[in-house]
Amino acid sequence: MSGGGWVRAYHLLPDFLGMLWAGAVMTVIVTAGGFVFAIVVGLLLAALRTGRSRLLHSLIYVYVEVFRAVPVLTQLFIIYFGLGAIGIRLNPIPSAVIGFGLNGGAYLTEVFRSGIESVNRGQTEAALSIGMTRTKALLYIVLPQAVRVVLPSIANFAIGLLKDTSLASAVAAPELSFNAHMLVDRTFLSTQIYLLVAVFYLAMSLPLSAVLHRLERGAARSRRA
Amino acid sequence: MISPQTLALIREWLPQLLVAAGQTLQMTVWAYALGAVMGLLIALGGMSRQRWLSGLCRVYIEFIRGTPTLIQLFLIYFGLTSVNIVIPGFQAAVIALGAHYAAYMAEVYRSGIVAVDSGQREAAQAIGMRRGQAMAYVIFPQAVRIILPPMTNFAISLLKDTSVASLIAAPELMMRANDITSEYYMPMQVYLLSGAMYFAMSYPLSLGVRYLERRFGRGRQLNLNLA
Repeated sequence: MSGGGWVRAYHLLPDFLGMLWAGAVMTVIVTAGGFVFAIVVGLLLAALRTGRSRLLHSLIYVYVEVFRAVPVLTQLFIIYFGLGAIGIRLNPIPSAVIGFGLNGGAYLTEVFRSGIESVNRGQTEAALSIGMTRTKALLYIVLPQAVRVVLPSIANFAIGLLKDTSLASAVAAPELSFNAHMLVDRTFLSTQIYLLVAVFYLAMSLPLSAVLHRLERGAARSRRA
Repeated sequence: MISPQTLALIREWLPQLLVAAGQTLQMTVWAYALGAVMGLLIALGGMSRQRWLSGLCRVYIEFIRGTPTLIQLFLIYFGLTSVNIVIPGFQAAVIALGAHYAAYMAEVYRSGIVAVDSGQREAAQAIGMRRGQAMAYVIFPQAVRIILPPMTNFAISLLKDTSVASLIAAPELMMRANDITSEYYMPMQVYLLSGAMYFAMSYPLSLGVRYLERRFGRGRQLNLNLA
């Protein structure tokens, strides 16, 4: 192996870091956007699912199953290229946020549903018996308890999402992976650049997984209590 | 809604996409097999009493789980060319995906093995089994029921993740869809069609997982009642 590549990479390091830093910021933006979108979709659909409408149940079921069964890359391409071809042009970043939001929303619908189901029925009954409406009981009594149960799953989802945003590079969203490809195209230092990018991702995901471990320990403790 | 022309085109694309779906399945099976074997080795290595070995396995798992599949794929496909190792796209994808899932599978193996009551190991050793024998004949068979549902889940997500291989131009469904798109410029139709094919492959698997979870979930409860 030629050491020249490493020497060249060392000299170009300031350029690399600048470009990758800008990409990392965009990665965080796409992750945060997709995360909020997914949480809103997931909470909304899980709440609607507790209703009695059969039609709504089936629609939500189809949405969840379809979006979970198809690769997120395909979904991104449908949103970015597919919609673009029929006249709905979205920029890469909004496409990515919508794609990850819808994909994650399907996943989180299931997560929140299992959380809601884990809350003892007596809680709802008690809330109804003191005169709360079904909606109020769900909002103030059931959901706060459900969210606590599913916090580890949500943290897990966030870590997965952070890494999945690398796929947004395929629709030319200028995030960390995309900027890395540009640098590789320019310098051909693929090993050095992708290793550096791996370090960037680790620096973002390891703190998140530390949070996850704390949440999991907390959840295990509250189960035992 | 679908014009006759589009229908004719779909009939033209379908055989190509079906062949590509077959390649996707092949890639999934190979990567899964690699991941399952590697994962078991990593799980056992992680439980080893040799500090350096368990440390190494830990670092591997953290590195893989902390970085995107895409970057791992690029490191293997593009990165290794700088040390003059050139791996064709399909094989590179199998190695990258297998190595990726190995880390996740190792964690599942470990949690399954840890979940088996320690009395089982002690009893096995009390009747004269060696550590390896106890693992193979007593602990692992009991861990399997815990391991099985998440392992089937991995098959589903692996199947979908093979789509990432299109980004290094490995022959599979997503890449075929990209090719057809660039030829006909009908992305909506092509990607919806390929999406439907992914659905047709992964939905049955997810029904299978649900079945396994119900079945083995009940088994676990039964055990608790007996205890």
